[in-house]
Amino acid sequence: MRVNMLLAATALVAVPMLAHGQTISILMESVPDTRFVQEVVPQFTEATGIEVDIEVVNYAEMHAKLVPQLVAPEGSYDVIVVDFYWVGEFIKAGWLQPLDDRIAESGFDTSVYVPVLFDLVGQVDGTTYMLPFYNYAMGLTYRKDLLEDPENQAAFEARYGMPLRVPETWEEYKNQVAFFTDREAGFYGVVNQGLRPDPIAMEWSNYLFANGGQFHDENWNPTLTTPEAVQALEDYKMMISEYGPVGAASFGFDEAFNVAAQGQAYSYLTYNMFRTAYDDPEISAVVGKMELAPVPNGGLNGAWGWAIPVSSPDPDAAWQFLQWIESPEIARQRAMLGGSPTRFDVFDDPELNATYPYYPALRALLDTAHNFPVFTYTPELVDIMGRELSLAVVGDKTSEEALAAIQEEFTELARRDGKIE
Amino acid sequence: MSALFAPTLAARDRRFGYAMAAPAIVVLAAIILAPVALALATSLFDYTLMNMTFDRFIGFDNFVAALSSSEFANSMVVTTLFVIAVVALEFVIGFVVALMLTTVKRGKNIYYLILLIPLLINPVVVGLIWRMLLHPTLGIVNWLLGGIGVPDIDWLGHPGTAFWTVVLVDIWHQVSFMAVLLTAGLSALPTEPYEAARAEGAGTLQTFWYITLPLMKPVIAVTLLIRLIFAIKTYDLIYIMTRGGPGDATDLISYYIYRSAFARLNLGEAAAMAILLMVIVIVLTLALFRTMRARG
Repeated sequence: MRVNMLLAATALVAVPMLAHGQTISILMESVPDTRFVQEVVPQFTEATGIEVDIEVVNYAEMHAKLVPQLVAPEGSYDVIVVDFYWVGEFIKAGWLQPLDDRIAESGFDTSVYVPVLFDLVGQVDGTTYMLPFYNYAMGLTYRKDLLEDPENQAAFEARYGMPLRVPETWEEYKNQVAFFTDREAGFYGVVNQGLRPDPIAMEWSNYLFANGGQFHDENWNPTLTTPEAVQALEDYKMMISEYGPVGAASFGFDEAFNVAAQGQAYSYLTYNMFRTAYDDPEISAVVGKMELAPVPNGGLNGAWGWAIPVSSPDPDAAWQFLQWIESPEIARQRAMLGGSPTRFDVFDDPELNATYPYYPALRALLDTAHNFPVFTYTPELVDIMGRELSLAVVGDKTSEEALAAIQEEFTELARRDGKIE
Repeated sequence: MSALFAPTLAARDRRFGYAMAAPAIVVLAAIILAPVALALATSLFDYTLMNMTFDRFIGFDNFVAALSSSEFANSMVVTTLFVIAVVALEFVIGFVVALMLTTVKRGKNIYYLILLIPLLINPVVVGLIWRMLLHPTLGIVNWLLGGIGVPDIDWLGHPGTAFWTVVLVDIWHQVSFMAVLLTAGLSALPTEPYEAARAEGAGTLQTFWYITLPLMKPVIAVTLLIRLIFAIKTYDLIYIMTRGGPGDATDLISYYIYRSAFARLNLGEAAAMAILLMVIVIVLTLALFRTMRARG
C-alpha cells in the first residue's frame, strides 16, 4: 500500500515535468562507441529536458528491427544509426530525411568531417542524409617490438635487400609476413578472418586495393577480373595457407583478434577500433607491443552515420540531439572515452593526441582509405563475395573462376540498380 | 423422413465436440495456417524488402528461379547429407544409451539430469561454446589432443572437417532427445514377452531383434520423425559456427533461405523456397508414417 502511494506521489511530481520534456528513442548497436554515447547523454537531458531512450541490440538484429519501423508511417525511433552497408538501400527506399535545410538553418558546420567519411555516411549524390558517427576503417595492426628489433632488421635486410620498417609497399608487407612466420614455433606472419560473408569480403577488399585493383571503374563497370584482382586473391590464399594459423579460413574477427592478442601473430589486418583492445591486459598478452598503420596503397573504409528517419515521431527533437551529440565539445568527450573519431577538430586536439599516440596513424589510414561500393544491393554483393572468395580459399574454385562469378553477379546487380546500362 | 433430420445422439455429440474444439482450431488457423497462406501468396509475387507490395504477380517465377539456382541445389544436397548423418547417428547412439539406461538400477535420475543438460542449452550458446572449444590454436580440444601427440585439427576451416564438426556438435546437443524419448518408450514396454522369451532360452540379441524392436516401432517412428523435421530446419548452429562455409560446405537450406530474405531482400523467392521445403517435410512425414504403420 505504502509502495503504491509512493508511486502515485512520484507520478504526480513526474507528470508535470514530463509534460514539458519529451523522450527520443534511438536504436544502436552494442559496440564501444555506443557505450560512450550512453555515458555523455545525461548531459543532454540536463541541458534540454529531453529524455533519451537508447535501445542497444546486436548487429545481426538491427536491420530486421529497423525495417518495419522505417516503413511504418510513424515508427518508434526518432534517431537511427546507419551502417554504410545500408546507405544505398535506405536512400533508395526513401527512408531517411534530407538534413540540408536543418544544417543551413542552424549553421551546423559539416566541413569538420574527414571527406572520405562524409562521402560514405554523410552525403549521397549531393544531398546530406547523415552525420558521421564513428569510423571503423581497416588498417594493419602489427608487432612494433619485433619490427624495431635491430637483429630482425639486420636479418630482414640481408634476406630481402630492403629495410624492415612500417611497410610502405604491399611487397614489403608480404616479405615481412613471410619473414616472421615460424610455424614450428607456432608463430604466424599474419592471421586472417576468412569467415563468410562480411569478414572475408571486407578483409579481401584491402588486398584488392593494396594490389592497385578497384571494384569498378568510374562508370560502375565492375573490374574484378583484372590481373590486380586475381593477384589479390592469390595473395589472400597464400596468406591463409602458408603464413597463417590453422583454421584462419573459418575465423571471424573475434577468433582472429585473439590469435594476435595472444601473441601468436606478427600482423592482423583489421578494424582500427581493435587498436585500443590490444592494450587491455584483461584480453591481451601483447600490451604496448601492437601498433596501427595504413594498408599500403590504402585500405577499406567503414563508418556509421546518424540519421533521422522519415518515420521519426519527433524530427525536431531528433535534430536537436544530433546537433548536440556531434557538437565539438561532446565529440571531444566521446573521443576521450575511446571513441573512434570522424572530425578534424578531434584529430587535431592536442590532449587527445597525447592520450592516444596512434591518432596520426589513424588519420593517415582515413586519408588513404577506399570505399566499398555503396548501392542498393551492397549486402547482396557482400554475400556473393563471401561465398566465392571462400570457395577459392578452400580450393573448390580457382581465383579466376571465383572472381568471374563475382564479376558476373556484381554486373547484374549494378544493372538492376540502374548504375550501368 | 423426419427421422433423417432429427439429430441423433451421436450427431449431437459430434457437434458438441466441434464446438469445444473450435477455439483451438481458430487459434491454430490464425498462428499456423494464416502465415503459411501469406507465405504462399508472397511466393507468387515479386515481393522484396525494397518494395513490400503485392503489385507484381509473377506466377511461379520465384519457384523457377529457386529450382534453377545452383546455390539452392547445393544447399539441398548439403541439407540432405546433414539430415541423414545427424538423424542416423543420433538414433543409433540414442538407442544404445537408452538400452543402457533401462538396465541401470541406481542413480537413474542423475544420468537423466546429465543427459538433459545439453538439450536445455540454447543452440546459439552451443555454437558459441563449441567455436571457442574448437579454436585450432587457442581452444582446449586441440590442446588436449596435442597432449597425446595429435597435430592441430582444422575443425571448421576445411570443407570436409567443417561438415563433420557441425554434425558432431549437433549430435552432442541433440542426442539426448533421442535417448530420453526412447528410454520412455522402453520403460513402457510390457514385461511378459521378455519373461516368455527368457523361458524359451532366447539370447540378448534375439530378444532385442524379435521383441524390443517390433514393440518399439511406434515410438521409434515418432522419435525419428520429430528429429528429422527439426534437423531439416537447422539454422542457429550454422549461423554461429560456419555461416555456410568454408566454401559452401555447410550451407544448409534454412540458412540459404534466411540469406535470400535478409541479405538479398528477396522475400518472394525466400517464401518460394520455404514452401518447397515445407512440401518436402510433409512428403517425408507421410512416407515415414506409412512405412512404419505398414511394418507395425
